[in-house]
Amino acid sequence: MRLVGIAVVIFIAAPLVIVVPMSFSDARSLQFPPPGYWLGYYQAYFTDVSWLRPTWNSIIIAAATTVLTMALVVPACFALVRHRFKGKSIADLMMLMPLAVPHIVIAVGYYSFLGDLRLVHTHLGVVLAHTCLSVPIAFLVLSANLKGFDRNLERAAQSLGASPVQTFLHVTLPILRPGLVISALFAFIQSFDETVVAIFISGRDAETLPRKMFDSIRQEADPVIAVISTLLFVAVLLAVIAPFAWRGIRSRFARTALPAPSPAGR
Amino acid sequence: MGATISRLGERPNLWPWLLLAPLTAYLAIFFLVPLADVAVMSFTEPRLSLANYQKIVTGTLYQRVFLNTFLTAGLVTLVCLCVGYPLAYLMNNSKPRTAMLILLLVTMSFWTSFLVRTYAWMVLLGNNGPIVALLSALGLTNPPQLLFTRFSSTLAMVHILAPYMIMNIYSVMRKIDPVLIRSAESLGARGFSLFRHVYLPLTAPGIANGCVLVFVLCLGFYVTPVLLGSPREQMIAGLIGHQIEEFLAFGMGSAMAMVLLAITLAILAVYHRRFGLDKLWG
Repeated sequence: MRLVGIAVVIFIAAPLVIVVPMSFSDARSLQFPPPGYWLGYYQAYFTDVSWLRPTWNSIIIAAATTVLTMALVVPACFALVRHRFKGKSIADLMMLMPLAVPHIVIAVGYYSFLGDLRLVHTHLGVVLAHTCLSVPIAFLVLSANLKGFDRNLERAAQSLGASPVQTFLHVTLPILRPGLVISALFAFIQSFDETVVAIFISGRDAETLPRKMFDSIRQEADPVIAVISTLLFVAVLLAVIAPFAWRGIRSRFARTALPAPSPAGR
Repeated sequence: MGATISRLGERPNLWPWLLLAPLTAYLAIFFLVPLADVAVMSFTEPRLSLANYQKIVTGTLYQRVFLNTFLTAGLVTLVCLCVGYPLAYLMNNSKPRTAMLILLLVTMSFWTSFLVRTYAWMVLLGNNGPIVALLSALGLTNPPQLLFTRFSSTLAMVHILAPYMIMNIYSVMRKIDPVLIRSAESLGARGFSLFRHVYLPLTAPGIANGCVLVFVLCLGFYVTPVLLGSPREQMIAGLIGHQIEEFLAFGMGSAMAMVLLAITLAILAVYHRRFGLDKLWG
């Protein structure tokens, strides 16, 4: 089992690492190992509007999606975790529903639905669609956090004379902050990485980065993709290592905990 | 929301509905209506009939694509299991430091955009890539075409979906009480027998979770098969996209989408009755 395990480690690591040298390659087409090295494609990426605009679109859309998702999910989470009522199990299922539907299916739906509303090829259209896909992920993270919340802390605050609003602002919110941040981050990444729906509805005006990458890989395999891949890889590396490093600093006895896997990409 | 707490005793029934209303309304309008649109189009485009579904049932192209999708999803799931199980085992049975590093790697892979990983496989398997170079160095004068084949898309999908399998199995393995293994050993269980009768049954829930998740995700996979696969061996999602983009055949695309959705939901419904859907995504 051990040898197989090590082989699997290489299998998983190789594709992640290979994009880094590729991004410094001076070859016009896919060639590995690269015949020579330069920074030309980095310069190309940072000066080419046809790459920068999709990047910017993706950031704006992901940010708006995150805000909308959190505004909808936070109250719903309180309702579903803290209250028992008729139809709760159906409501629970409803939150997870967008995870169960293959993206290609709902992409066809959005193509026609947003077309009727004249919202295809607009930022708003993509945000409205992405919010649905981000809801389950944000919900899963936040409800797990809320379930672990010790409500005695709120009762203690109220027995000491805090009003419900004060309790919420000074007790509930600060304790939930890490959960809120992680859940918002998941919503952001879900939207930033989402490809299939974006391919169908974002068009030229609201073109997102994954859509641009998809088109580029399909048509010409522009070497700039290696640059973007490296940048995205480094961003993930920093984001994944940061909590580990932080925990390592906070306590020497770092536990191996991991954010719950969520099917962010398809 | 603070008011929730104090009014809980007085009016227990109104608050949850008020808090749920915005999200419920949102999902109804922006998720269920588009989904219903697909259902309607599958019957009405180009005219009101069952013709689209008839074509799926009788057309050889559609039968082949559905069969191909199932075979691919099954194969990917199987390979993910064969790849994921040993790795989860390695993680669970090595020093904390090593385990942490592997965990870090799997997490990295999981969070790296699958477009990036698909692109990486294009580099690795390309005609000017390291694997072809290695093969010709080993004496293969006529290296096989690796890219744009069933092989390349299957391999890339295994790479993309393996983290789901690994995390599901690992989370179950981690909870196994080592005392159980030791007592089995003290009763004489060794090697394969120990694995077959003790370890495997204990990890079965993780295997079931991982397999269902990988299979279902693979059924609806669009990007990787389209970019890396053979154009002659499409999967369902690729064909749906093709129908819509190339032929504007919304009825046909919608009908196939509905069949894909029905299959996916059927698998998840069986799973839900058995284990509970909320467990699937950890």
